[in-house]
Amino acid sequence: MKTVTFALAIAILSQVAGNRLASAQDAVEIMSKSHLAYYYAGNDGMSEVNMKIVDKKGSERVREFAMLRLDTEDGGDQKYYTYFRKPSDVSRIAFMVHKNSTGNDQRWIYVPSVDLVKPIAADDKNSSFVGSDFTYEDVSGRHWNEDSHTLVREDAVDAKPVFVIESTPKKAYKGFAKRISFIDKSTFLPIREEYYDDKGELGRVLRAEKIDVIDGITTVTVRSMENVKKGSKTTVSFTSIKYNIGLKPDLFAERYLKNPPRDYIKQ
Amino acid sequence: MKTSRLISKIVAAAVVTLFAGAPLLAEDLQIGGFIQGLYGGKLQERKLTPSDYSASEMRLQLRLETSSGDADLFGRVDFVYDDVTDPEYQWELREGYLKYTLFRKVDFKIGRQILTWGTGDLVFINDLFAKDYESFFAGRDDQYLKAPQTAIRTEYYSPVGALSIVWTPRFTPNRTPTGERFSYYNPMMQSFTGGPPYALASRPADRWENSEIAARFQRGVGNYTVELYAYRGFFKNPLGFNPVTVSAYYPKLFAYGASVRGQLLSGILWLEGGYYDSREDRCGAKPFVPNSSVMGLIGYERQIATDLTGNIQYQADFMEDYDQYELNLIGTEKRDELRSLITSRLTRNFRMETVQLSSFVFWSPSDEDVYYRFSLLYKYNDALTLTVGGNLFDGQKMYTDFGSFAKNDNLYAKMTYGF
Repeated sequence: MKTVTFALAIAILSQVAGNRLASAQDAVEIMSKSHLAYYYAGNDGMSEVNMKIVDKKGSERVREFAMLRLDTEDGGDQKYYTYFRKPSDVSRIAFMVHKNSTGNDQRWIYVPSVDLVKPIAADDKNSSFVGSDFTYEDVSGRHWNEDSHTLVREDAVDAKPVFVIESTPKKAYKGFAKRISFIDKSTFLPIREEYYDDKGELGRVLRAEKIDVIDGITTVTVRSMENVKKGSKTTVSFTSIKYNIGLKPDLFAERYLKNPPRDYIKQ
Repeated sequence: MKTSRLISKIVAAAVVTLFAGAPLLAEDLQIGGFIQGLYGGKLQERKLTPSDYSASEMRLQLRLETSSGDADLFGRVDFVYDDVTDPEYQWELREGYLKYTLFRKVDFKIGRQILTWGTGDLVFINDLFAKDYESFFAGRDDQYLKAPQTAIRTEYYSPVGALSIVWTPRFTPNRTPTGERFSYYNPMMQSFTGGPPYALASRPADRWENSEIAARFQRGVGNYTVELYAYRGFFKNPLGFNPVTVSAYYPKLFAYGASVRGQLLSGILWLEGGYYDSREDRCGAKPFVPNSSVMGLIGYERQIATDLTGNIQYQADFMEDYDQYELNLIGTEKRDELRSLITSRLTRNFRMETVQLSSFVFWSPSDEDVYYRFSLLYKYNDALTLTVGGNLFDGQKMYTDFGSFAKNDNLYAKMTYGF
């Protein structure tokens, strides 16, 4: 009798452990697929971006910029180029990031009114991107290897079947203590992300507001980030999106920081 | 015939003509700019200058940009009503240039332009392009620290590196206090001086041999950018004195230097060195011409916390032939052989980058003088920005760099509407 109970217990335990392992593996796979779909669509891409920042009092600020992206390696290093159009005080400023998936990113800014090229100390990926509710990391992505993932359940958001994944940073991180992602089962795009702080309080919510198919690639064309605590919200709309346009790596260098590449960035 | 001056005029005329014709060529014309009011008052009781104000001006800047194929045309022009200076109405073409790429390898920028290179933060060794210290001290926007030069810039890109050559036909000096807006120390009178007659240094004659040439070679090495520099021209400040005409002038200068800049740990490190070869006083015996000197700069910047960035710099300036300098010195206003300067910048952003507090201190332990700048900026919305700030100087001696401006402490308020 005892033996039977023991054997049963072992069987149940290993079943549970097996399930958990499977779910962890699945979760990592889902998150890596999602990361690639969201941040690495195509080999490169370009778009015009409109960023609307609304604070808790309802006052609105708008940034407009053109953005180029080139993937050095899927899931790995990337290069970003941003050319600001609005508002007036930042217009014509160019900004470049060499995203390093294994170390610190490199960032440069070009201020045309003083003809100044300056590398920027980029220690804190969690700082705000141009005063919005998005961080630098939200723009370029946080590698899935930096967090542990668990498939919590399967659910539906706006009638779309989703995986619900809970992620916790492997190393203490001030960006969030826990993140719940709702990943579309068919496209692997994040439909919603909830960021919780170390007290378990909800800090920010990312929403995919609009999804379109562009050049055969399913793309979030409007996304928003709400800072629940601050009461502010930033909505980003992407237009004139193009993928696989053949951007060259040498475009992401000081020469083009000073001289925006007119083949891609019109006035 | 003043050839280089003529060239400058032709270049300017060509740029203006191109602009007039630009809308016909271009797909579209971008227009922007700002309107700005700047008012500042001096803090000292003993006023040396005609006006008690460090600034009292209204400025309209118009920005025009268009491109067509490989060519970009850009213009930036300021219209100013200024109570402090005479004449009150002024305008200036801040930038007006044509940018053109040849064979995808060479970039030309021709016309009136702002030029910058080197690694220092508000400290310059190999950047021998014109600066406007009067604007800098008055609280104008950062873009006014640089004065425009009418020049031709050629940049050639190859796998080995990038070579830039800037030719400025007509020598363009720094804009330094003349006694009209700000007082300065006058070594002739051994006192702070302001009011007319204003300090005017004589420029070198407009001749081919007096044009300025600046060159830079740049190459990336790993995560670092390595640069070599050379300059042939004149000291940008009127550091020479002609006892015959009793006037200040710009002595001849050759300069050579190098810099390296890149990421170290979580911040940015920069190192720069330079040698100023004072061509008119190569053995250091002339009391009215600066000696040659060797300069070095080290700086480091990092993000201290979210929304807080800081940097620190140390600059050393070592005079050559110091014994000759001491031997031939007239008067008692002696500088140290090794001049040192420490600077630090702190920038803190608040409320989603709509409020910015900024502080910058220059302190020279050898000269025992200090210059402190600070500002508080509030972006009311995308168009409207309000700024208050100040510029404070102090020194143990009247004749040092910052000590000589000790009577110019000021506070200012600025309102900018961008469009």
